[in-house]
Amino acid sequence: MISMRAWPTSNMLAAELLKVRKRWMPYALLLLMVAGAAILIWLGGYGSWVEERNDPEFGYGQESLRTFALPWSLTGLLDSGQFWGAILVGILVASAVATEHGWGTVRQALIRGRTRSQYLTAKLLGIAIAAAITLLLAFGVGVGFSVIATALADRPITLDVPGGPSVPGVALMVLRAGYGIIPYALLAFCLAVVGRSTTLGVVGILFFMFVEAIVLGILGEQSGWAADARAFLPGHNVQALLAANRIGSLGGNSLAPRDPALTDLPDPAIAALVLAAYCVGFLAIAFVIFQRRDINA
Amino acid sequence: MSNDNSDVVLRTVGLTKRYRRLLALDDLNLEVCRGQVFGFLGPNGAGKTTTIALILGLIAPTAGHVEMFGLDTRRHLSGVLRRTGAILETPSLYPHLSGRDNLRVWGALSGGVEGKRVDEALDLVGLRGRGRDKVRTYSLGMKQRLGLAAALLHDPELLVLDEPTNGLDPAGMREVREVIRGLGQIGRTVFVSSHLLSEVEQMCDHVGIVKEGRLLTQGSVATLLRQGEALEMEVTEPDRAVRVLGSLAWVNGVRRDHDRLLVEAPRERAAELSRALAEQQIYLAELRPREGSLEEFFLEVTGKEAVQ
Repeated sequence: MISMRAWPTSNMLAAELLKVRKRWMPYALLLLMVAGAAILIWLGGYGSWVEERNDPEFGYGQESLRTFALPWSLTGLLDSGQFWGAILVGILVASAVATEHGWGTVRQALIRGRTRSQYLTAKLLGIAIAAAITLLLAFGVGVGFSVIATALADRPITLDVPGGPSVPGVALMVLRAGYGIIPYALLAFCLAVVGRSTTLGVVGILFFMFVEAIVLGILGEQSGWAADARAFLPGHNVQALLAANRIGSLGGNSLAPRDPALTDLPDPAIAALVLAAYCVGFLAIAFVIFQRRDINA
Repeated sequence: MSNDNSDVVLRTVGLTKRYRRLLALDDLNLEVCRGQVFGFLGPNGAGKTTTIALILGLIAPTAGHVEMFGLDTRRHLSGVLRRTGAILETPSLYPHLSGRDNLRVWGALSGGVEGKRVDEALDLVGLRGRGRDKVRTYSLGMKQRLGLAAALLHDPELLVLDEPTNGLDPAGMREVREVIRGLGQIGRTVFVSSHLLSEVEQMCDHVGIVKEGRLLTQGSVATLLRQGEALEMEVTEPDRAVRVLGSLAWVNGVRRDHDRLLVEAPRERAAELSRALAEQQIYLAELRPREGSLEEFFLEVTGKEAVQ
């Protein structure tokens, strides 16, 4: 029953994309992410700046300006996008995987001459493509909001500021944020495969993120090995990646509950490796269990 | 039953499945040959669905293995499944997709089928007019028919069907039976499980009977029915007739029901039987052959297990 053949055919991938495209969830994800971008740029950024720009108590609204104006807004958009994207993509992944068990379609899929690994890989790739398109669209809309807000504030629309990124640099920023979503999405995937349950996948990822934030907070107040232990948790490493997205020494606002002042973060390359280890672990558990288990429903 | 390997499309060898203390299937040895419509008959909970899940590689056997098209499925599962179509217990479909999109998905997983083939499959099961509607709006019977279309989509050599008429109305059941019989007539091999005796009797040329995870018998329906053949008669002296008939070597048994006797003997020997009685001055008032039925045979081998 076990086959190592894992790469899906283009037909399988097309079928997965058809299935995910016809679900309402990717559209809800897009809507929520766009709403988040609007809140960040217009309420947290431009709206606050209008009120604070003449007020020395608020530093003439410099923080608000960096929230909505290009290129600083990219940091906030990607930081918020990583946090909320991880939750929403996790929900999408858990639902797409577990509902196949609920509907019994996983059995139909597995009796059509494709290996179990191919089935899971196709599903993962299908969701990844759909999620990537959705998140990029939402990011694009967020950047659009930022361009409009920057123009309304009569500021130059440019990347050319001290510490500003080049165009390839922006692509790298997007990749860092996207990479930060993957471990959480794969945790949801793993839980949904193992538990055959959307609830387990969704609750599991939310519980993990909640507990991880508490643990990171507690460890952050310690010193020595306890503080160093944060380097083994994905959240700390994701923050290290996103810290590399900062433009200049000052940051803007974000919708992610993170401490922007944190400085003792791992090197981004090391952080990427730790996150990769989590990804491999979650994938290995999901594939091995799915490969060996009886599919009764 | 023993056949040339090339002729055997599906074979189970000592197939066993145990769930902790429950022995769901015990040393099942089945053979289904090319072109047969094989009915897998048994009461609910006999192990039919477990057998089908094992055949299709959805669950792993505790012991034994399955061969399809002469290949061991432990090594060649993907290859043999591409030549197989199947319906599992309940229709498994994507409710948020239309009937047509469901078939497109299943077609893609089967290696890709043309849009024309999707239309043909919808036509075959009478769903062309509802092909663009979401499956969540379908009745159970429509879902069952769409499941059959999905199984036939890639024109498989072997069909494995688990209770394919579940949820269908009488007209739908007849349509499905005709489709299955038609497949047998064009040389397709069909393995169909059912707890409905009449259905199996009408559709299948071969049958295997399973109970409590054990195969009780298998063979051609005609042969099995011949075993149940009897001669029913009314005679002048029933008590003496029972003794006379009981002494004949080729009579397997005599049962008495008031004045009527049921004699288990080949119908070709009716004349000899009449002569034997007449020689003892016992005369027939009525003599007629009685056909064996699958139901009687089933009840006999399963020990009067209740079935429909």
